[in-house]
Amino acid sequence: MLPFAVAMNDLAHIRNFSIIAHIDHGKSTLADRILEMTGTVAERDMKEQLLDKMELERERGITIKSQAVRIAYTARDGQTYQLNLIDTPGHVDFTYEVSRSLAACEAAVLLVDATQGVEAQTVANAYLAIDNDLEIIPVLNKIDLPAADVAEAELELHELTGASHEEILLVSAKTGEGVVDVLEAVVGRAPAPSGDPAAPARALIFDSEYDQYRGVIAYVRVVDGHFARRQLIRMMGTGQQAEVEELGFFGPDMKPAERLETGEVGYIITGVKDVAHVRVGDTVTDARRPAGEALPGYKVVRPMVFTGLFPTEGDKFEDLRDALEKLKLNDAALSYEPESSSALGFGFRCGFLGLLHMDIVRERLEREHDLELITTLPNVEFHVYLTDGTLQVVRNPAEMPDAGRIERVEEPFVSASVIVPSDYVGAVMELCQGRRAEFVDMKYLSPHRVEMHYRLPLGEIVLDFFDQLKSKTRGYASLDYEFWGYRESDLVKLEIVLAGQPVDALSLIVPRERAHARGRMLVEKLRQKIPRQLFEVPIQAAIGNRVIARETIKAKRKDVLAKCYGGDITRKRKLLEKQKEGKKRMKQLGVVEVPQEAFLAVLELDAGDQSR
Amino acid sequence: MQPRDAFAGPVRHVYVHVPFCAARCDYCDFYSEVVPLRRAEGGAPEPAKPAASAPLDRFVDAVSTEWELERAAHEVHGVRTLYFGGGTPALLGVGRLERLYQAFAAQLTAHAEVTVETNPDEADEAFAVWAARRDVRISLGVQSFLPRMRAALGRRPAADPSAAVRRLRAAGVRDISVDLIHGIPGQTADDVDHDLVVLADLAPDHVSWYELDVVPGTPLARRHPQVPSDDERAALYRQVVRGLERLGYRWYEVSNFARPGRRARHNVAYWRARPYLGLGPGAVSTVGGRRWRDAADVADYVAALDPSPRDLPSPRDPSSPREPSPPPREVESLGRETLARERLMLAARCGSAVPLADVRPVLDPGAVAPLVAAGLLSLHSGRIRVTRKGRYVGDEVCVRLFRA
Repeated sequence: MLPFAVAMNDLAHIRNFSIIAHIDHGKSTLADRILEMTGTVAERDMKEQLLDKMELERERGITIKSQAVRIAYTARDGQTYQLNLIDTPGHVDFTYEVSRSLAACEAAVLLVDATQGVEAQTVANAYLAIDNDLEIIPVLNKIDLPAADVAEAELELHELTGASHEEILLVSAKTGEGVVDVLEAVVGRAPAPSGDPAAPARALIFDSEYDQYRGVIAYVRVVDGHFARRQLIRMMGTGQQAEVEELGFFGPDMKPAERLETGEVGYIITGVKDVAHVRVGDTVTDARRPAGEALPGYKVVRPMVFTGLFPTEGDKFEDLRDALEKLKLNDAALSYEPESSSALGFGFRCGFLGLLHMDIVRERLEREHDLELITTLPNVEFHVYLTDGTLQVVRNPAEMPDAGRIERVEEPFVSASVIVPSDYVGAVMELCQGRRAEFVDMKYLSPHRVEMHYRLPLGEIVLDFFDQLKSKTRGYASLDYEFWGYRESDLVKLEIVLAGQPVDALSLIVPRERAHARGRMLVEKLRQKIPRQLFEVPIQAAIGNRVIARETIKAKRKDVLAKCYGGDITRKRKLLEKQKEGKKRMKQLGVVEVPQEAFLAVLELDAGDQSR
Repeated sequence: MQPRDAFAGPVRHVYVHVPFCAARCDYCDFYSEVVPLRRAEGGAPEPAKPAASAPLDRFVDAVSTEWELERAAHEVHGVRTLYFGGGTPALLGVGRLERLYQAFAAQLTAHAEVTVETNPDEADEAFAVWAARRDVRISLGVQSFLPRMRAALGRRPAADPSAAVRRLRAAGVRDISVDLIHGIPGQTADDVDHDLVVLADLAPDHVSWYELDVVPGTPLARRHPQVPSDDERAALYRQVVRGLERLGYRWYEVSNFARPGRRARHNVAYWRARPYLGLGPGAVSTVGGRRWRDAADVADYVAALDPSPRDLPSPRDPSSPREPSPPPREVESLGRETLARERLMLAARCGSAVPLADVRPVLDPGAVAPLVAAGLLSLHSGRIRVTRKGRYVGDEVCVRLFRA
């Protein structure tokens, strides 16, 4: 099959669609199979997770960044269609990426693992698709597996989308069984794009990528009119004007073209270097014949989780700034501002969409930019209302004002939905109770599976709610959440005092009723993580001036090599020099040397905590 | 005061490595070759095959030759300390020992300390008589007075080591040091007490009591021994120090204890960073900013120093033997900062004072005050000294003191 050559590019032969799924339900495998079966990618170039370009994505088996690829498909009706598949991330942290991609489509393949059934992100993504007025094509995947329960999963999909038995497709992305039916459904059920080829040109920027040589590469969906090389264009939101240097589509590599027509998906490069001028969600139009109205954009994504990132070596601050700047070019949701800590020196307080996002950014900084980082405990953004009537936004526990000045503290709450087999309803309820969660409602998706709704502090999720949920339900529960609003909570600042000195980087904001338990666990954890020193090191947890927990790291009792004669001197000296080198990985807090892991100790407060 | 460089000045200390043992011990990582022994009834141990004695003779010749070469190459003053270590020097037998001794005799100062290491089994009557006649200091590798502990170390079964001490004393040896080990798998405080009691009875002049170092690659390490925990070993160490001090020994180095006036002067020279020559395969020398190690291979060693045509016929020129030359060596250059770090590291072992001026370039100035405050270091008239309390954690103290 000759891709593209024979594809019609009139509106009636274009279909733009996404595959949406809960994480691990086989989205990337289905995309791989479609690319393979349509000859979009030659067999010799085929590899798993083809659309996931980042090393990290392949390693973790997840999709972080959206991709768009043009496919030529000759359908059973004998006609060749241009299908634009927009791959989307599956994790809750990246829901915003999904919603952006969906705005560029007319249809969504809702993929469900037949061995798992409908999961929380299936539901969330389905609603996103419905909100965006997309045609939903429900598909059950992994039907070749013995554990597949097609009847049960079908029932759940029916409950969720109203789809009939006939409308739900059965596939195995792994073996390729039924994949053609998916393509046929896209051609047959998805509407063609509805733009006006004669109207002034308009395109939605649904994503962008930064290339250090070519500048910003805008991923666009042409809604009306067309774009061509050398055309002068304007971003309607920012007013930025530029000439189109190159445009084209993804096949899946960038393939330059002369024009992008109404309804097509592709990319535009203008040579603009500043991502701020080519904003995701903005509308591109013809500068000489501008459209009257911009397309509906996206709400700006706001980071929800904050943490301090500090280079272990003090002189790497500038390197960290450069690295963050570079990542930010391709990651609009990342935010950062300089921060200084008495314990950790200079670094950045960074904002993330969630823990996975945080993890990925940290790993990319370390891997791609060769930095060693200390990460402080992630926390949410607190709204602190002071007695003088002002509001102080606190993203760093160290900045929490004195209790005497505080009138009240509000923290962000989320609406969470948890989907579990009905056997685990009790376990989930018990967990949620311990996590200050407020029950909203629950409903049965099928006789065996329940969707439960809670409102709970985001701070609990940031702590370890998801891990706990997974462990208490043997991995069966799935979680999705969205920001709900701010609400007052009784919170206090828990300070850690090491050898008499408060360590700002270890302080945290906790619910008052759990402060004692958390304090005890934290000092115990730190005692385990901080190696013995030459001096005795008392570790205290305190609220204000009140010490609520204390542990002591005993002084080292012996650390000296037994033998050192004439033949040993070089070896022993090198050993000491190596130990000195190893100390670079320690942070010196006063007289105490603290290994980096200690700063993560607060993250490891485990299950025992929530019930106390 | 002028800053003093480590290992500078004329050489006054010589070490000779005798790389022969009757059997390898499981914990030992020193270089040695096994020489099978035949022991005549009541007589001296002799190599089992007559052919095996030739290498021992040639070794003695080679050491003498190396000594000649080194004396020509370095400024060597009167030798104040001479140390025959190993291996098991006593295995050479009295005749060869005497020959070896004579190679150095002319350079020894009036009150030179000459030490010979031996295992209790090799310290037989003949050896004891020879040692007494030459007024040699004996360092006896006992390791433990408990057979059970020696077995845990993989030492070959031996007679009661106390008997060797008595034999040496009876023959008139005036200076006896006993080597012991603590931290042996299975060793308890009672076991250490047992050794202390035996020591109280034997009253050697000097004790070296080391914590067991499980060196990777040794047969002991391959057995993954269950050594006592860190805290247990720290407790045993303190028990050793306290016990020996109660018996009247001075704790003058991490693992060394002496009756007044009986310190091992040879070893003290190392810790004071005095220049020393090491002869024999695997032996290390340090003179000024240069340190070298003779290749740890007795055949190579002998071939270089004693290139006799007997066993090395050169096809190209069979008639003329080559000139003796130093054995293959591994050389290390020691920069001033390296020397200063070694100075500090060695001084920490004995708690000797180091002028700040001598080590300033390698010292983290901020590290001194907290260590002084913690009582691990003292600072008086421009000199730092690791305290007794600091000696237990001397490595960490040094690491802290080193500038990053």
